[in-house]
Amino acid sequence: MMTHDEMLDSVAAYALGLLSADEAKVVAAHLETCERCREEYRFLQPAVTALAYSAEAGAATSSASAPGPLLKARVMNRVRAETARRSVPRDWPAYALAAAALALAILTGLVDLSLNHRLDRDRAQLAAQAQMTDDLTAPDSRHYRFAGGEVLARGDRLYIAMRDLPMPPPGRIYQAWTLAKGATKVAPSVTFTPTRDGVAVIRLPEAVTTLAAVAVSNEPEGGSRQPTTKPIAMVRI
Amino acid sequence: MEDAGRLMERVQARDADAFEALYDRYHRLVYGLALRVLADPIAAEDVTQAVFLKLWSEPSLFRGGNFGAWIVRVARNRAYDAVRSRAAHAPSDLPESLPAEGSLEETALAHIDGEQVRIALAQLTREQREPIELGFFGGVTQEQIALRIGVPLGTVKTRIRSGLRRLRNILEGAVTV
Repeated sequence: MMTHDEMLDSVAAYALGLLSADEAKVVAAHLETCERCREEYRFLQPAVTALAYSAEAGAATSSASAPGPLLKARVMNRVRAETARRSVPRDWPAYALAAAALALAILTGLVDLSLNHRLDRDRAQLAAQAQMTDDLTAPDSRHYRFAGGEVLARGDRLYIAMRDLPMPPPGRIYQAWTLAKGATKVAPSVTFTPTRDGVAVIRLPEAVTTLAAVAVSNEPEGGSRQPTTKPIAMVRI
Repeated sequence: MEDAGRLMERVQARDADAFEALYDRYHRLVYGLALRVLADPIAAEDVTQAVFLKLWSEPSLFRGGNFGAWIVRVARNRAYDAVRSRAAHAPSDLPESLPAEGSLEETALAHIDGEQVRIALAQLTREQREPIELGFFGGVTQEQIALRIGVPLGTVKTRIRSGLRRLRNILEGAVTV
């Protein structure tokens, strides 16, 4: 038979989530009837919650313990997709929206001979953005993490996502490099700068299946033919 | 800053902006906890994503009280689901359904930060801190803790309780001054 002091110890273990399912049931039932143990549980519970805060990822810990830059995009994409489905009636065909926009453009005199070209270009940009969003948030995409970001591959497509990237000084830029399988020298890829929030998400034109590694270095504006500084990121694929 | 409880009311009304505000405020807490339990950044991201999508799909699971305390319980339980898939004998869930109670929970946790708790934890004796951290983050039962640190089960339980009481008192002192 358990003494009451032993039960109070069990209440602490219960608050900390250490009991087996059977033991937890016994303590939960006891808490229903014992005011003193309930008081103890209420007293200890905030300390248990506070423990989690000691592991909080943030400025106090290294950036390596922060979540990857794409996590929020993955979560918000799912949430926004759901709200978008709610706000647009499902039986309203996409072409009706396009027709409405076109009618408005005609009325406001925006239609000119170059409209078709602009529409083609906009459509291509939208399709590329949609593909990118799809790739970045898909559960079957492959992630290769490095300090400060990750390389992400889906199908043949390849992306590099970085966070906390300082804006390069005037005249400088970031450049991606790829190492083909079996090659001994890296080849130059795209150049880029981060957003003001220090985030960069870039599609690399190379097919991922041909590559062994991806790197990023700081280079003069316009890019280099070979890296002129030590890479700030490098990941094997 | 808008109260988390109020933001949850907006999430109930399917307000994605309110959800994003909660994500921005709490994702580091959820991710940090999951990373400490799982020691695997990819698995910790999976847990963080699952916790927030659960919050979005079933906001009614939050039944008032301190939001941070609630999401800690949800996150730890989810991280332990991942631990359970690796280990045969893992401890039970934290009770999510019990509303958070107590003056500290209502007032202090709204302003608490990781550094404050780390300082408070450092004031516990090693005998108190070790079983508490092992139990909370380690995904092990109290019997396994006793085996690991080589003391009787009764001693482990007593140290856990005295350590938690001391932690609570230190934190309360830190926030009421």
